[in-house]
Amino acid sequence: MKELFPIKQVNGFIFSMLLTVVALSVYFLDMSFELGMTILLITAFVQAAVQLVIFMHAGESEDKKAIYTTTIYGLIIALVTVFGSLLAMVWGYM
Amino acid sequence: MKINNTQPLEYSTEQNQLNILGFWVFLGAEIMLFATLFTSYFVYENRVGNGPSGAEIFELTPVLIETILLLTSSFTIGLAINAMRLNRKKAMLTFLAVTLVLGLAFLGVEIYEFTHYYHVGATLQTSAFTGMLLTTLGTHGAHVTFGLVWGLFIFIQIKKNGLTPATTNKSFIFSLYWHFLDVVWIFIFSFIYLKGMM
Amino acid sequence: MEFFERFAVPHPSPLIYASMVAIGLVIIAIVLGITYFKKWGYLWNEWLTTTDHKRIGIMYIISALLMLFRGGADAVMMRFQTSVPENAFLDAQHYNEVFTTHGVVMIFFMAMAFVIGLMNFVVPLQIGARDVAFPRLNAISFWLYFAGAMLFNVSFVIGGSPDAGWTNYYPLAGNDFSTSVGVNYYNWALQISGIGTLMTGINFIATIIKMRAPGMTLMKMPMFTWSSLVTNVIIVFAFPVLTIALLMGTFDRQLGTFFFASENGGMDMMWANLFWVWGHPEVYILILPAFGIYSEIISTFSERNLYGYKSMVGSMVIISLLSFFVWVHHFFTMGHDALTNSIFSITTMAIAVPTGIKIFNWLLTMWKGKIRFTVPMLYSVAFIPLFTIGGVTGVMLAIASADYQYHNTMFLVAHFHNVIIPGVVFAMLAGLTYWWPKMFGFMLNEKIGKWAFWFLTVGFCFSFFPMYITGLDGQARRMYTYSEASGFGPLNMLSFFGAGLMAIGFIVIVYNVYYSFRYAKRGIGDDPWNARSLEWATHNPVPEYNFAIVPQVNSSEAFWDSKKKGHKLFRGDYKEIHMPNNSGLPVIMAGLFFVFGFSFVFYIWAGVIISGIGILACMAYRSFEKDHGRHIKVKEIEETEDKFGGAK
Repeated sequence: MKELFPIKQVNGFIFSMLLTVVALSVYFLDMSFELGMTILLITAFVQAAVQLVIFMHAGESEDKKAIYTTTIYGLIIALVTVFGSLLAMVWGYM
Repeated sequence: MKINNTQPLEYSTEQNQLNILGFWVFLGAEIMLFATLFTSYFVYENRVGNGPSGAEIFELTPVLIETILLLTSSFTIGLAINAMRLNRKKAMLTFLAVTLVLGLAFLGVEIYEFTHYYHVGATLQTSAFTGMLLTTLGTHGAHVTFGLVWGLFIFIQIKKNGLTPATTNKSFIFSLYWHFLDVVWIFIFSFIYLKGMM
Repeated sequence: MEFFERFAVPHPSPLIYASMVAIGLVIIAIVLGITYFKKWGYLWNEWLTTTDHKRIGIMYIISALLMLFRGGADAVMMRFQTSVPENAFLDAQHYNEVFTTHGVVMIFFMAMAFVIGLMNFVVPLQIGARDVAFPRLNAISFWLYFAGAMLFNVSFVIGGSPDAGWTNYYPLAGNDFSTSVGVNYYNWALQISGIGTLMTGINFIATIIKMRAPGMTLMKMPMFTWSSLVTNVIIVFAFPVLTIALLMGTFDRQLGTFFFASENGGMDMMWANLFWVWGHPEVYILILPAFGIYSEIISTFSERNLYGYKSMVGSMVIISLLSFFVWVHHFFTMGHDALTNSIFSITTMAIAVPTGIKIFNWLLTMWKGKIRFTVPMLYSVAFIPLFTIGGVTGVMLAIASADYQYHNTMFLVAHFHNVIIPGVVFAMLAGLTYWWPKMFGFMLNEKIGKWAFWFLTVGFCFSFFPMYITGLDGQARRMYTYSEASGFGPLNMLSFFGAGLMAIGFIVIVYNVYYSFRYAKRGIGDDPWNARSLEWATHNPVPEYNFAIVPQVNSSEAFWDSKKKGHKLFRGDYKEIHMPNNSGLPVIMAGLFFVFGFSFVFYIWAGVIISGIGILACMAYRSFEKDHGRHIKVKEIEETEDKFGGAK
């Protein structure tokens, strides 16, 4: 039975639940927008990293370089798209 | 078909390794797909027109239930892959079934959520904001629905053919897909709901 | 009757009726011809159901050439219409439709297909692989592209063509201003072929990363393969953006949302934003493979290895990243603050640096080389100065404040044709001529090819250089006519003259294919150009398994080494070769996608539901299907190799 619940994954699960609770603090506690966003950004990206490394085994195969490159490349372009569009459509648009 | 026994079954043939790498690349494309949806959502977030704003329609309880369901299902599909690698077919099928049931429950709560939005007058045709909100959630929900059917097919195939290089490969790829949907949900949870209710 | 009224063309003219008749007759002729020659079985077994990357590549190229003539006819009509002031050959509506379809057809269905076609044919050969990573998926990619292309072309005779420009800006493309189903066609045709393109991207990344011949490290890949890898990375990250943008456009037009509307929170410029987030990388999706082709050709015909291999690779990787950082330069005039425009202005100019490096590398490759001016080399040599002019005017356009003057003028039209024609079109023609013997076993006639080259190059200069001047003088693009007093007449006439020369050039190319097919020498050997990379190491034409023995590689020019330095490419004995089976599923699925798209365009929900279920059923069938491919026995390989004149 024990081998069906490896400690690494159980810990990962508990950790991801904890991150959710931390993220919830922005709802229950009174805080500034900037602080709230900082907390959300940190918890969301840590959560994503937990999934990627612990659950998705991103680094286990011989193709891990290609896999990490794809993910990071995608992430960079995704962020550029989000913030570039916000700049063009909201912040920098009079 | 050459089978390499030093690797887990899902990696054991060349085609299997190609499938897994190819799916990772596909997930890269999915990152951009959802990034585009998020981009649009952020641009439309405050463009509510005559419709309600996010703060007016979001409800924490169903969202929290959805989050817990999906996070747990992500955990159980991970356990399913672990069981698969131990060659425990029955345990693997149990965990897969639990995952699918949790996914189904998630979908049920999401449908409840959508009817709630409908009742408070937030539909696809209300404003750019509500339209984008429902499109983003809907795209994620459609992915989950697709995943449920796909997972069911894999369940049937493992039941019928056992843990072979082909079925384990499919299961592993399915698990990648499922974890990815969980990651997307975390971002929806954080940057659509929590940010909107903050 | 009411049901059928929606299929009528909203602005019929004799020209459209004539096309309807012509299309009908051509279809009947093709069907009768195939039936008469009893070729249905051959067509189905050897081509429609094939999963062979070489055949899929050839089908892509044939489709691309067909689309080239469709888009080219549009171009000639536009140049004819504007050749004199106040011309009445086309009215405003038809002119709108013609420039829209010209743009869409040329970018999506000609250039993309041509690029992907050459990639399909060449890349697996260059890396010494037997096929792509997912042969079945490759067939689906092609057929989805084909279904999209056909759906788009159907709009011409059923329901009306899109007329909001290839950029399809809102609110013009919204229901209020585009009342026909044209823009629905645009959305669905591009959506369907876009899914196919995305799959191609995934397929080739996996192929290039995992299926290279032993010894071929990443930095020993031929340059065209490198450019294909980078291109496919851009495809994978750019096309999902188009998918969402088109989805939002479809929702707006067909499901009543307000994303790009002017009311209820909608924002019309958001379409432009998303379109160009995809659209600018798309430019590099087209040009990078062209760079790769030029690199191969210039090095082959200068008989020198490529100068600055590492900087070539590095500059492409940088271009691929930067291509996602610049899109706002397409709408500098939207009304951003100075900071925003400056940021995107600078990132745009930065792209000139890696591109410049590549230009110098090509020049230095030719430096002191033994240059042979074959047709492919002529295109490559003409490309360098012409493309540089296009690049320099691009930097002019990148200056945000000056862009207010150029925006939406013929100057812009001149600029992007100046990069696309000598950049992409010349590269495709050069690549096609270069790899033609590998595809068909004979060479295209050099003399006729040179005639075509001169017609195209001179025609290009006459067509587009005048537009720089009229553009700076203020001639707006996409206007169906202009007054005599504007003084644009003579230069536009010159453009029309140039377009005529280009049309002759393309006709000469068609004649060349016919002439060479009939008279060209067969049995030209495996390496007619004295080339350098692996695709020339196998037989001519290529056997279905590509290489009887997987080659061993030690440099980016393994084949050259085997000719000059005694490197042994093929070591060991024949072994059984595993090959994928043919499948009819991709054709059937693409057919269902066509029905799905067509039904959605016309709001025929029953059709949408039935074909949608059909598509899902195909996927379910595939999930349960057991297809392990087949094996070619050693004896069979021996026989084939003997037929080709001995083992290699």
